[in-house]
Amino acid sequence: MDATVIIFLLIFLLTILISAIELTPISVAALSGALLTAWFGIQYGVFTYQEALGFVNVSILVLVIGTMIVVEVAERSGLFRVLALYAIKFSGGSSAKLFVSICVVSALVSMFLSDPTAMLLMAAAIVTIAKVLNSDPVPYFVSATIMINIGGTSTLIGSVTNMIIGVEAGIGFLDFISYLALCEVALWILTIFVLYMFFKPRLGQWKELPEYKPLESITNKGLFYKSVFVLVILIVLFLALENLAVGPEGVALACAILALFLSKLDPAEIFKKLDWETVFFIAGFMFIVGGLEKTQILNELSVQLFQIAGGSSLNASLMTLWFSGLASAVVSNIAIALTFTPVISSQAFSGLNLGAIWSALILGTNLGGATTPFSGAVVIMAIGALKREGVSMHLGDFTKVGLMTTTLQLVFSTFYLIMWFGLLSV
Amino acid sequence: MTSLARIKKWFESRKLKSEERYDEEKKEFEMAMGEPVIQVKITMPKGFEDQRTHFLNLEKDQQFLEEVNDLVKKRLTYEKRGVKPES
Repeated sequence: MDATVIIFLLIFLLTILISAIELTPISVAALSGALLTAWFGIQYGVFTYQEALGFVNVSILVLVIGTMIVVEVAERSGLFRVLALYAIKFSGGSSAKLFVSICVVSALVSMFLSDPTAMLLMAAAIVTIAKVLNSDPVPYFVSATIMINIGGTSTLIGSVTNMIIGVEAGIGFLDFISYLALCEVALWILTIFVLYMFFKPRLGQWKELPEYKPLESITNKGLFYKSVFVLVILIVLFLALENLAVGPEGVALACAILALFLSKLDPAEIFKKLDWETVFFIAGFMFIVGGLEKTQILNELSVQLFQIAGGSSLNASLMTLWFSGLASAVVSNIAIALTFTPVISSQAFSGLNLGAIWSALILGTNLGGATTPFSGAVVIMAIGALKREGVSMHLGDFTKVGLMTTTLQLVFSTFYLIMWFGLLSV
Repeated sequence: MTSLARIKKWFESRKLKSEERYDEEKKEFEMAMGEPVIQVKITMPKGFEDQRTHFLNLEKDQQFLEEVNDLVKKRLTYEKRGVKPES
């Protein structure tokens, strides 16, 4: 193997390792890796400075930032809080209904909010209702974490990995829905059922809920309705993308500007709250993968994987699903998505059922994120919030449930991919 | 210390990010589902500087708090029915 390939692979693996154990903030790890890639790449003549400028896909960054702005404005309006309050009110105090409501609303809000932000919202809701009803918050916390992880699997803006795969693979909003909406609904039902059976003994009895009106929690009604309007426009435009001459990033950016204009909020305040850590991590890691691509190692990997899969769409899809799912349980699923997109986009895979393989990558990178306490920021947030409230949750308890649900979800996804894309008949 | 214990210690040392935002959200939920609370900052009126201690003690003066509570009731009744509170 060429010395430059070894250097680039070392940079790639070290960045993943340092990000996983958070030796430095993940953005610093990725940007440092990008800097080293640039240095060695230009020094050894692997690529030119001009070529390096094209490593970062600006469309992905614009889509991520645009969506973040729209959602931040909606979050400030209290829209997602109202959803959570309605879900709790809907339960009427029944522990089973409350459990299902918390699970459903967790998945729903994570279709728009980033997973850590959704977790903050749901953690606050769960802690409050658990205090009011004097019940054990742990089952709700664990279940909300797992549901937040799978929420938005079938939408382009449901997670950062979906945005990366969507833009890189050219999969539109409607394609996402047609490939995976049925799977996501089934995964929700399956996961909620399993979690409910697991936690049933700890949920307690019916208790009377306090009287409250969710809409009264909105202090700025104008902002609330404007946020709903912008979100609706965003979704309608995404649905109509095929008839527009712009990509999803154009729609996200236009809606972000509309949200800032209508809300009249201080843009500086909104920008300050965006998840820049993730944005810079994506940019840095994209650069590292861009450097790797130039060494042709990813092309070789594609050919190798194609051969291991025996040229079969079934094998390629299942390998992608399980590898990305298990890898995402240990390291950043954003890194996995960024690494796999050029591999799948390569010539070697062109004759295969790409819809199935992209769907496998989307499912794998989404489902692996709540397997162990180390799988993602959302689990750390849940445990951190519980600790802050003086409630302890053993790491092993979460791992037990996380492993069980992730395995079930991956097994179900295996059957789904085979049936939905007719992989046995190819 | 075993490796597992070390991992656990490292994991627990990681703080909940965005603690401030979490507290804000929690306050909003508590306000919506529990009893809403408002906090009003009152500055000592000018010309009463010699009664500083007495002013500070008002914060814990039960009779004063009841009087403020009555004022809130009157104000809310006015907002609801349009009946002007007695001065």
